[in-house]
Amino acid sequence: MSAAVKILDGNTFVVSDDNGDIEASLTDPTGLFSFDTRFLSRWILTIDGQRLNPLSVDDLQYFETRFFLVPGTGTVYIDAKLSVIRQRAVGGGFHEELTILNHDDKPVDLTVRVEAACDFADLFEVKDALKKQGAYYTSVDDGRLVLGYRRETYVRETWISATEACTVDEGGLTFVVHVEPQQKWATDLHVAIGRDASGTTSGQPKYERPAKKQARTTMELSLEKWLGDAPILDCDSDSLKRTYQRSLVDLAALRFSPVMLPGHYLPAAGLPWFMTMFGRDSVFTSLQALPFAPELARTTLVALGLWQGSRHDDFRDEDPGRILHEMRFGEMTAFEERPHSPYYGSVDATPLYVVLLDEYERWTGDAKLVRSLERQARAALAWIDDYADLQGNGYIAYQRRNEKTGLENQCWKDSWDSISYRDGRLPGFPRATCELQGYAYDAKVRGARLARLVWQDPAYADRLEKEAADLKRRFNRDFWVEDGQYFAIALEPDGSKVDALASNNGHLLWSGIVDKSKAKAVARHLMSPAMYSGWGVRTLAEGQGRYNPIGYHVGTIWPYDNSFIAWGLRRYGFKEEAARIAAGILDAAEFFEGRLPEAFGGYERELTKYPVQYPTSCSPQAWSTGAPLLFLRTMLGLEPIGEHLIVDPALPQGIGRLELLDIPGRWGRLDAFGRSRVDVGSRPRSRSQLGVLKPAKKSKGKAAE
Amino acid sequence: MAELDVGLLEALEERSREHPVPAVDGVVLFDVRCADNVDKWYVTMEKGIVTVARKGGEPDCVLTGGCATFDAVLSGRANVMAALLRGAFSAQGRIILLSALQQLFPGSPDAADLPAASYAERQS
Repeated sequence: MSAAVKILDGNTFVVSDDNGDIEASLTDPTGLFSFDTRFLSRWILTIDGQRLNPLSVDDLQYFETRFFLVPGTGTVYIDAKLSVIRQRAVGGGFHEELTILNHDDKPVDLTVRVEAACDFADLFEVKDALKKQGAYYTSVDDGRLVLGYRRETYVRETWISATEACTVDEGGLTFVVHVEPQQKWATDLHVAIGRDASGTTSGQPKYERPAKKQARTTMELSLEKWLGDAPILDCDSDSLKRTYQRSLVDLAALRFSPVMLPGHYLPAAGLPWFMTMFGRDSVFTSLQALPFAPELARTTLVALGLWQGSRHDDFRDEDPGRILHEMRFGEMTAFEERPHSPYYGSVDATPLYVVLLDEYERWTGDAKLVRSLERQARAALAWIDDYADLQGNGYIAYQRRNEKTGLENQCWKDSWDSISYRDGRLPGFPRATCELQGYAYDAKVRGARLARLVWQDPAYADRLEKEAADLKRRFNRDFWVEDGQYFAIALEPDGSKVDALASNNGHLLWSGIVDKSKAKAVARHLMSPAMYSGWGVRTLAEGQGRYNPIGYHVGTIWPYDNSFIAWGLRRYGFKEEAARIAAGILDAAEFFEGRLPEAFGGYERELTKYPVQYPTSCSPQAWSTGAPLLFLRTMLGLEPIGEHLIVDPALPQGIGRLELLDIPGRWGRLDAFGRSRVDVGSRPRSRSQLGVLKPAKKSKGKAAE
Repeated sequence: MAELDVGLLEALEERSREHPVPAVDGVVLFDVRCADNVDKWYVTMEKGIVTVARKGGEPDCVLTGGCATFDAVLSGRANVMAALLRGAFSAQGRIILLSALQQLFPGSPDAADLPAASYAERQS
């Protein structure tokens, strides 16, 4: 297939080749997907039996694209007397405006054919190349082509129709077209999700204009409002402005409205495999986006709270109080061949849930939500002690109970080799990775704050604080690698330190669990040549047994990871180091046109001069999209304290002026300004070799006029 | 199956008193299609507590399905979300109520009963 063109809306998306055609195989993620199911796997346009050639593709919006095509193959387009435009918008299926222009001085008679078919593959089947167990059917019903699939009570249908007269057969639509000289012919093609999990759908497409006179569609208006509500960024770096804009638009594209909360949005994890609710990804992205779009955090907290674990279920790795890992809607989930209804095999989402709840309150002052989620937060905190202490030593650890289809690694570095000793050996299970202890500590500290301020339960607050202090004391003793001066990546059940040096140390700074006396050594490691490539901090340090610059969690650089590392460095006062990391990743973003991938290669910056994209990473991916937002917060030193927003900027050398206007929060809207003291007139084009300026003077946010 | 076992519904009430569901108020109608009749149960959720009755007002959400499906879900042998995706159940109205209510549905009878004493408890 030629280059993939993607348009999306929540968990409905279309991936096609660059002439707009879809020719999917079982293992190929092209087609129209909705709720983890492929609703169209073949969509081929021909004119007089000929395929069309792409001249150009215009990405109009994330949900809309336009293909300019000519008939014929190879180089004959120069003589083309016809041109064809396919303008496609996704939303409740997709809609395509097909236009044929006759540039000749003679009329033409054409046979236009659109072939359509569907395999109704579950995304899991596409990933794992599995076979279907049900039966397909097709029918022509009142001028509409119906493609269907049935397995017992499970039924999915796609409905295809056109506005112009055509002959519909079970393989597609045929138009007999006459076009006068210098004239055009056009039809609208509707591909609707006819039947999904909710039964027969209305078929009402989201892309339609709400009123005929209205110029913009519902989706255009929604994007416009989203962008209008976000703070305004002004700075002397055009690259940063582009990245910011890209991040906001991509985050809009990745918004996902859960069925139980219509009209409210939380971030889905990433295209194409992860357009669904993930506990960990939704929480991290909501944290990153809090100063920009607090509504994401609110919906995430409510939705994850509703699906919080309440029973023991080995198949789903569910326990009472546990926050879900992943929710899926496809056929394999429906028949309980996969555990994602939802699956709970994540060990960090639960403490992070409490972290997000507290951070959300600190920014928004929404004590009402914190009160309404008190039971969920208490259950999450109880889960840490009652169900996650699998090693029996007071540390949070993981080991799957579903050994067939459950996740082996339940922390964010979830690949098979991500947790290792310095010499490359893999530890056994249960595994207590270090960052989990940090999250648990932070959850207890923040839970105590909420207990005292909102739930009015000082005794509970005291208990949580005592537990947090005890955890911190033990952690700094048990995880510290004395001969390396950093924290081990994990602890074995027998207490052995899994002593690889990994980026998890940065998350520890973010959580606050690190003793002050150890923070400097940790920061020095994070900025050392073994860890910091010049673009960012590697997931695993160079020189460790399993280090590989293009190994998924063993050497690549993750923008999301770096955004939390930078936040952690700032927390312990390492402003210059935080700014260097921000600058490196934001420099990398330039090479990806503002859209940071999930991960890129850990090669030395001086070696490659450009960031090497990880081969199969998702893009856009929510927490990579959120990374620039968190970097803005970190560079400006934004911190809500009481009713105020503290601004304490420390900017990288290449940014002379940084202004973030209309930051939403409990204060209403405030502006933050940062200036560096460097002579920006002589700055290099890219901020490649950063020193960082001394931080500017601390100030409170200035009220917007 | 002639009708739904009332004990399974009473168990919902009991569990909600022990572990209240997320505080979303409303009425879910269980529209149970049995062999010869339709069994209707009104499940009212108020401040996290559930009460079940034969009669009720206008429901906010209707859950429709066969008696065997209700029986399997309410006894922990099947998962409600999977049943919905499979088309064995259909739901109309405020789905948020069903999301909250499902927390009361029991887990698999085969699941290991895990909870060990917490670390803090073992220390004391």
